[in-house]
Amino acid sequence: MRVTVDSAKCQGHNRCMILAPDTFDVDDMGFAHVPEDMQVVTEGRRESVEAAARNCPEMAIVLTED
Amino acid sequence: MSETKCPVDFDYHGESLDAIFDTYKELRSECPVGYSSKYGGFWFLTKNEDIFAAEQDHATFAVAPSMLLPSFGTEVPLIPIDIDPPSHAAYRRILLPLFTPKAIDALTPRVVEVAKNLASSIDTNGVADVSHAFARPLPTIIFSALAGFPEEDWPRFDTWIDEIIYERVEEPDVAKKAADEVFAYFDDLLARRRNEPDRDDIIGYLLRAQVDGKPLTHDELLSYCYLLFLAGLDTTAWAIRSSLWQLAQDREAQERLRQDPDLMPTAVEEFLRTLSPVQAMARTATRDVEVRGKQIKAGERVVLAFGSGNRDEDQYEHSDDIIIDRVQNRHFAFGVGIHRCLGSNLGRREAVVALQQFLEVLPPFSLAEPDQPWHGVGPLRLSFDKKGA
Repeated sequence: MRVTVDSAKCQGHNRCMILAPDTFDVDDMGFAHVPEDMQVVTEGRRESVEAAARNCPEMAIVLTED
Repeated sequence: MSETKCPVDFDYHGESLDAIFDTYKELRSECPVGYSSKYGGFWFLTKNEDIFAAEQDHATFAVAPSMLLPSFGTEVPLIPIDIDPPSHAAYRRILLPLFTPKAIDALTPRVVEVAKNLASSIDTNGVADVSHAFARPLPTIIFSALAGFPEEDWPRFDTWIDEIIYERVEEPDVAKKAADEVFAYFDDLLARRRNEPDRDDIIGYLLRAQVDGKPLTHDELLSYCYLLFLAGLDTTAWAIRSSLWQLAQDREAQERLRQDPDLMPTAVEEFLRTLSPVQAMARTATRDVEVRGKQIKAGERVVLAFGSGNRDEDQYEHSDDIIIDRVQNRHFAFGVGIHRCLGSNLGRREAVVALQQFLEVLPPFSLAEPDQPWHGVGPLRLSFDKKGA
């Protein structure tokens, strides 16, 4: 599974930063992204990434199965 | 369909809030999009997905002339919440760096200290009004320091907030007078602050900011300060107060959170979802638009009832139950879309830390008067268990 943030939708709620801090990062304005080396979701991070996606108020987190 | 507008006298202010969760439930089932005659007339949306769609479609559902209905005692558009694109983003960006996770983390030790001190000062022998002693002063101290509102002025703030936010519905003249006073207060404060432009607080950021290569005008600065004053203090106080109201009636949740303070962020999301400080905000249709079969005309006001969307049975299991370890909890307590509450992460952190410290410092508590309303920033009287009892 891969994860990215649709930057056109992210409004900086930072729910993903709370729920999956290993995977997401924010810029100086508080908008989220997934660093390149974190975009492939390892098994250990799957649960937290899925929780972040389900709780994103803007539905801005994009999950794609390989 | 005999009724084209589904008319009811729905209201979301004052005493209407007492039973508003029952009202929402009925509306979602019988009248999910309807028309109220209050405040000059407005459409209202109560379903989670309709609110989300409207929030995302800011071209159709604009904020001008104001998302406040009725107004906060002034007809001046408040920056940035009453500003539509394209100007909106530039006003908002000025303050975004102050509310990033890193910035909030840096503020947290101070929040802990203030919450601990306030909680420690509460006399647990009699009945304590924890709205007055805890829920209101915490955001006043934290946000005022961040904003640059001088400490000697803090004692004046609560009355202004009560008159502008709570009395505006029944007593618009009282709200207008208070609004005039707050504008005069910031007029004076901004004049003094021009002599010290380098300070690292919100007013400093606003004074140094440029939009389209120009500094904000004095009127823009006044509008921004006025909005921050109302948004930064009252909403967080409400969140802390309503969470304590809920916990006072749920001893099991109190004990669990006392044992496991790391669960507090999850619990706070649930309190925010179910007891949202901002129950609804207004938009204005910029064109004729149909929502759930109802025909909304250009120029009509449309109220987005976040508090109802947050309890929509189509979105949440046991949607009216307050479940402190609810994991699936995507909600609209801070709104969504481009007008998402700018201070949401500060508000969240203040609520989490406040409740953690309250439970850590103080013995188990109950409502001193069982019929106290869940809402607002009015008194919240608690009685505490005797130590060792």
